[in-house]
Amino acid sequence: MESGKLLDSEESFRKFSVYRIVEHLGLIACITVLAMTGLPQKFYSFGISQFIITSLGGIDNVRSVHHIAAVIFTVLTLQHIFAAFIGVAFLQWEPSMLIAVKDIQDALQNVKYCLGMAGRPAMYGRYNYKEKFVYWFILLGGIQMIVTGFILWFPITAAKYFPGQFIPVSKVIHTNDAMLIFFLTAIWHIYDSIFNPEVFPLDKSIFTGIKKLTGPDTRKGDKKWKG
Amino acid sequence: MGKWLQAMETIVNSMSGTMRASVCIVCAALLLCFALYCQPSLAAAEQGPRKVDKLSGAEGNADEDERNQCLKCHREKGSIKKFPDGDFISTYVDPRAFASSVHRSLRCTACHNEFSLQHHPDRFFRNKLQYRIMESHVCRDCHKERDIRSVAVHESLFRKESAGEAVVCTNCHSAHAVTPVVGGNASTGEEKYCLRCHSRETKMDFNDQESISLRVDTGELQNSPHKNMGCSDCHFGFSQENHPQRRFRYEREYRISSAGMCRKCHFDKYSEVSESIHYDMLSTGRLDAPTCIDCHGGHDASSLSVNRLLSVMKCRKCHGEVYDAYAKSVHGNALLNVNNKDVPICIDCHSAHSIKNPTLSAFHDYIPEMCGKCHSNPTLMGKYGLSTDVVTTYLSDFHGVTLGLQRKEAHQGYRPEPPMAVCTDCHGTHDIASVSGTDLHVLKAKLLKRCQKCHTNATSNFPDAWLSHYKPSLRVAPLVFITEQFYKIIMPLMVLGLLFQVLLQIWRYLVNR
Repeated sequence: MESGKLLDSEESFRKFSVYRIVEHLGLIACITVLAMTGLPQKFYSFGISQFIITSLGGIDNVRSVHHIAAVIFTVLTLQHIFAAFIGVAFLQWEPSMLIAVKDIQDALQNVKYCLGMAGRPAMYGRYNYKEKFVYWFILLGGIQMIVTGFILWFPITAAKYFPGQFIPVSKVIHTNDAMLIFFLTAIWHIYDSIFNPEVFPLDKSIFTGIKKLTGPDTRKGDKKWKG
Repeated sequence: MGKWLQAMETIVNSMSGTMRASVCIVCAALLLCFALYCQPSLAAAEQGPRKVDKLSGAEGNADEDERNQCLKCHREKGSIKKFPDGDFISTYVDPRAFASSVHRSLRCTACHNEFSLQHHPDRFFRNKLQYRIMESHVCRDCHKERDIRSVAVHESLFRKESAGEAVVCTNCHSAHAVTPVVGGNASTGEEKYCLRCHSRETKMDFNDQESISLRVDTGELQNSPHKNMGCSDCHFGFSQENHPQRRFRYEREYRISSAGMCRKCHFDKYSEVSESIHYDMLSTGRLDAPTCIDCHGGHDASSLSVNRLLSVMKCRKCHGEVYDAYAKSVHGNALLNVNNKDVPICIDCHSAHSIKNPTLSAFHDYIPEMCGKCHSNPTLMGKYGLSTDVVTTYLSDFHGVTLGLQRKEAHQGYRPEPPMAVCTDCHGTHDIASVSGTDLHVLKAKLLKRCQKCHTNATSNFPDAWLSHYKPSLRVAPLVFITEQFYKIIMPLMVLGLLFQVLLQIWRYLVNR
């Protein structure tokens, strides 16, 4: 939620700082490893799952890799929350990721526009409603994955503080949340950042930090994030 | 020929009319006689080679005439045929035994085809064995190899024959007194011969001064599945001609060597045994390890798969402690008290012959399949009101999934420590008890102890993590059930919502273009 800076040119602005670029790269690596080592455990009977598990040196190795990636993911998530808290509370960062009523209006506006019921698409701030949805879904889903993942990793300790049934419940949440995050990433986030005709072949802003303002539905004209 | 005809014409022309008529009558009479003489043989020649229905004795009186003619000499006891090596064979034929034999309708020359009423060749044989082998070839004129092979016991004989050993049909089936194989007794001749001594109390001495009785209980033999086999089929090397003297250091050595007898016919089982823990023990000098006859018996040999109780008792001889635990278990109790044939016995889990070392992971890791043979059978479990979900719930749970994946690494020598929990780690091995009717608290306390075998610090809450083979429902594990249902609703909603958004945007893009 660090504030973006409007560059000299009105056509582009710095959307992500180096910190966020590195953070996102770390997240890509973590989620890829977690999915690669987690999904074969959920769909253990599939030939491809067994191939992956065998290739990675067996189920116990796969679980170790999953645990290491999980620890990194946990550190990433905690530091993100911590940084956001410090930034917003003490460094005057604008909480531009917070969901507002406008996001719901934007979403409805876009649906109307796509259906031909509105003349123009919604105009967004620094982050559009889709980005916010993905962000909050992965943040909250990630916290859920961390909690349930640690319960599954340390069931004996978990059972000291919670009813035993929390362990199978955690398994249900962990595996289903994983699927939701997978679908969200695979269907929407990948589409929106790669296959969306407006950004195709790739929205590079998360890697370069610079977002170019193009097209009718860009953030041009809405600079409330400025500063 | 033309000269002969010319000479005949000259003679006939020179004869007077009366003389010519006389000669014609004589010639016609001679021709008639010749034709009558030749008719039967000509008719026979037209029919081709004569076929004799041997078993029906279609030849009638001719057979009897021939038999009587042969028996004139061969019914005399003491008639023998001598061989150059000084050995001899009796040529006596017991008319009564032959009359009740399966070949009673055959004429003698059907088998002894070099002989006839007119011809009795003096054949030369080097010894008695050669004679008997040659005679056995006659049997194969009628009993074709395919038919002989259809009887399993003959396979070993064919193998012997291929290896160059002599095979003599009459060793088992006797000669003139041969009885029908089905319902008869193929070994009459040899068995009688052996039992002349072995029906009495005879002894075999060992080097350690111990001895055993060699008496054969004929009653046992008659009730055995081997009753139609000859003694020498098992006791190879022994026959009416040979009786080698063997020496063993002690009885166990003799017993172990005797197991080799079974190999000849039960080669498949013998191969399985050779891969078993019992054979491994024998190989390492553990002579108390059981061999074929320790479980199946000798002359009273029986298949143990039929009598399940007897089978258990055989294992009990060595595995007394295991038996005691089994007897108290839900399975053992059903077998021993009500002779329930559905419950597993030792061989159902450990197999009968290829018994593996149960302490190895190769055995341990396949226990779910072993238990699953019965516990995933809906018909069988339905009889006792048991759920078949036990196997599927295990296999889809952490332990089952992990075990399945770890087994794929077993060939690389991967052995997780501790091994993944399987059915017996929680339910016990031989002392498996029924959970029905047991107080829930008692059950939970027992379960906690089982959990603590691997999860040493497990607390009283921990067993609740295990859904006791139940599928989650509002009654059992409601929290798990509700969470599952929540995701069943939310998952498709979200996926469809996302797809809707994406497709809508693509559609708008295409329309704008």
